[in-house]
Amino acid sequence: MKPEPTLPREGNSRKTAAPGLKRLPITLQGFILPGLFLIVWELGAVWLDNPALVPRVTAVLAVLLHPFTDLVGTGSLIWNTVVSLVRVLTGFVVAVVVCVPLGIFMGTSKILHRMVNPLVEMFRPLCPIAWIPFAMAVFKTTTVSQLFGVRYTDTILDSVQIGMIFIIFWGGLFPILLNTIHGVAGVRTLWTETARVLSASKAQIFWKVILPAALPAILTGLRIGVGIAWMVIIAAEMLPGADSGIGYLIMYSYELAEMQILVACMVVIGLMGLALNRGLQILSNRVSRWKALER
Amino acid sequence: MMETLELNGLSKIFNAPPDREVVALKNVDLQIASGEFVAVIGPTGCGKTTLLRIIAGLEAPSCGAILLDGKPVIDLHRISTLVFQQYSLFPWLDVLGNVAFPMEMKGIHKKERLKRAEEYIALVGLTAFEKAKPYELSGGMQQRVAIARALAHDPEVLLMDEPFGALDERTRHRLQKILLQIWQEKRKTILFVTHNIDEAIYLADRIIIMATEPGRIVAQKKVSLGRPRDRLTEKFTKIHLEIRNIIEQSA
Repeated sequence: MKPEPTLPREGNSRKTAAPGLKRLPITLQGFILPGLFLIVWELGAVWLDNPALVPRVTAVLAVLLHPFTDLVGTGSLIWNTVVSLVRVLTGFVVAVVVCVPLGIFMGTSKILHRMVNPLVEMFRPLCPIAWIPFAMAVFKTTTVSQLFGVRYTDTILDSVQIGMIFIIFWGGLFPILLNTIHGVAGVRTLWTETARVLSASKAQIFWKVILPAALPAILTGLRIGVGIAWMVIIAAEMLPGADSGIGYLIMYSYELAEMQILVACMVVIGLMGLALNRGLQILSNRVSRWKALER
Repeated sequence: MMETLELNGLSKIFNAPPDREVVALKNVDLQIASGEFVAVIGPTGCGKTTLLRIIAGLEAPSCGAILLDGKPVIDLHRISTLVFQQYSLFPWLDVLGNVAFPMEMKGIHKKERLKRAEEYIALVGLTAFEKAKPYELSGGMQQRVAIARALAHDPEVLLMDEPFGALDERTRHRLQKILLQIWQEKRKTILFVTHNIDEAIYLADRIIIMATEPGRIVAQKKVSLGRPRDRLTEKFTKIHLEIRNIIEQSA
């Protein structure tokens, strides 16, 4: 993501004592419109007086403030969020483990690139959500636990279906793969040649030059990939056949017209997406600082 | 002095499509004594960079051999290293990490290699910048770090491909002085490619003059001036004119 544009300094506005908004502390300025939005929403909800259509802000807050309470018999908000997160992270780890090495090979080997690329281009335009029905048909509701030959393990793995992992894998595949290829292909010959004249072996060139040089691009791929994976899992959980997860909870509360739960789920989905993105962004900023500052 | 590095009939032919061959180097013979400072000068396209890349082991010669003490060299990367004209520091490593890099490749223990890297950094006068990242340094400083890194590889032969070519004149003169100091202290064999006649005379014991099409050696010139050299002396200018004449005649 692009760095946020720096706002003009507000130093002199205080001296000239400009009236109104400019006198507000800078940190508060960003809260005005969201606050206004909530007020308008609340007023609208009170005026409509139809909680099955527009819930009150306070009702949504009540759900959010009790995240461990069981909701309409489907487990708590926290539980369903964790289930969705574990699904995403499992599928995402599989995608990383497959796509990063594959991308590195494709970025370094022209033959492999020529062989695999048509396949990549063939599947790339296909929206990962389109894979969901196919995945459900093929994998049914087989869970990770069943993969190990047991029906129930009393762990969260009982709620992680292979089909879910499959579609998250597809969601993460292209951003991770393409960014990795791009990153590796962008490693300057000058750097690898420098390593060679300093007696680095092939393995050392890979670990000490190609990988660190490509890492910023790889992390960008991971960040985009995790965002897509999070969107895809919500969609997958909303379809029939799902039995838990935040996407399931949002759909189920829709069917029961429990709009305060539905909106609370939306808030959680948004916040989790933000957190996943931010987490990787912080990591990526730390690793990629040289890339941004390089001449 | 014993002749250490010997180039025997080195040629390099590149295939240029369609069905054309470019003779980048033709039959280059050269002996370089241990500890000698040799400059290679010539117009663009005379194959001086190709020559350096072959000795550095980045390019295989089409024919010919490179001998060290009379024996063919098996691993050129072990005996030589190359300082590029472009800024070649690894931008994700700080100065210390860059200079320690060749020792890391050799598997030297971390504590030991950092200690030695500090010594090499001190040699180029950048101790205050050990923790700096390459993008925080000026071009001249980056090349000083590149030289320290090359020395940390501890090669028999230091190859330099117009390392000061991208620097302004004042910085270039300063780095030339630093390089001579290091050379006198470490007694490395240096093969220094440049297109700057002044630089070649200021630095080298001997100047090799090359010409194009095909890339070849046309003349050699010993510089028998005491160091430090003064660019404004008559002798210096005389050599300068001689070399310029040779280059112009062979063009």
